Amino acid sequence: MTLRDLVLVRLGVAINLVIGQIVAALLLPIFLDSVGTILVAALVGPRAAIAVGLVSQVLNAVISGNFSWLPFALVQVVIALYAAAAARLGLFRRFATAVPAGIGMGLLAAACSAPIAYFLFGGVTAGGVTVVTTVLRALGAPLAVAVASASFATDLLDKAISCALVSALLGSLPRTLAARFPALAR
Amino acid sequence: MIGYVPGHSLLHRAHPYTTLALAGALLLGAFALTRPLEVWLLVVAAAAFAVAGGVLRASARPALLLSLPIWVLLFVLHGLLGADPRMTVGPVSLSVPGIARALVLGGRLTAIVLGFLTALATASPHRLVEAMTAGGVPFGRTFLLASTLTVLPRMRERTTQILEAQQCRGLRLGGSPLARLRALVPLALPLVLGALAEVDEQVLALDARGAAGGVRRTALDPPRDSALQRALRWTLLALVVAAYAWKFWSMRG
Repeated sequence: MTLRDLVLVRLGVAINLVIGQIVAALLLPIFLDSVGTILVAALVGPRAAIAVGLVSQVLNAVISGNFSWLPFALVQVVIALYAAAAARLGLFRRFATAVPAGIGMGLLAAACSAPIAYFLFGGVTAGGVTVVTTVLRALGAPLAVAVASASFATDLLDKAISCALVSALLGSLPRTLAARFPALAR
Repeated sequence: MIGYVPGHSLLHRAHPYTTLALAGALLLGAFALTRPLEVWLLVVAAAAFAVAGGVLRASARPALLLSLPIWVLLFVLHGLLGADPRMTVGPVSLSVPGIARALVLGGRLTAIVLGFLTALATASPHRLVEAMTAGGVPFGRTFLLASTLTVLPRMRERTTQILEAQQCRGLRLGGSPLARLRALVPLALPLVLGALAEVDEQVLALDARGAAGGVRRTALDPPRDSALQRALRWTLLALVVAAYAWKFWSMRG
């Protein structure tokens, strides 16, 4: 990894953690904790994006103190790989393709996070997802179905918005700045 | 939540890899154990770990604050809404397997959180970086772990400045979820674009400090390691492997 990649990874991790602060200030029922990962995947490629995802997960645990979420690092790796592939296909260039790409990412992320949430944590991972799980369970849905439904509902929305935001960010890059990232021209 | 707490305990004097290996073993062990008694013995081990570090009070309080909401949700999701057979405690009907599962999951979380908060409180970040440097860990990895924590407060401060500036220009943070979602763009764009514009400057600064080239760096004051601590780390690894082997063997049986 080059020095430039290292600096971008650090930036991606900071974006992942700080965007969460903005989302909390706006009282939005989403996380947007992968915006930095997706952005770095589009700017540099999968290797740096995987590093962003893994370091974000570790630092999030260090800052919040909740280290039990470390197994969800696998989801960050999947998001990084998918985002790099989507960027290579040029799906983040337009809003109209970024949102469906985000929905695909949400499906994949939920398919990975739901089994982790169900088998390792019994569906309780704190936050809004668990509230949705509890409501569905109270309505009579089996636990596995409630956990999967909550994961899919929140991840689809979260990743679609994340990809739309990254598309807006890439679209607003001044030409001089965009020219510094050759991956964008591919 | 909790940071390094200076001290002279056994854990403070131990090599940082040993402290992290103990916390890592608690994490992996927690997922290998499946019975309430086993998991709660692990919680006791995590508490003993905190006592050895002289930080039981400092780490138990945040561990409880983090675990308590999860315990409540576990009680509702598994204890109240769990499967049959059920038992009645006063006016409440509880699921017997649900309560057992909640005890396992709650204990697992408590052991992990307490273990890592103790590691955070007793392993100095400076000593960890020195240990990694002395161990020949590439500069990039130590940079990412140590430096990102320093860049976060700066980004947070900038976020607050952008938030205040946009509010002065008439940005409203309230309203419907869609209106609040729209407010995200004018906040996130200046933050990210500003940070991206500084990337080259930071690369030059790192280059000037000799970060490029993959040359092995010299640690000024590396923490002392010992044969006993190395043996302890290998023993922990063997215990974790044995716990998983036992778990899978008993699942087959």
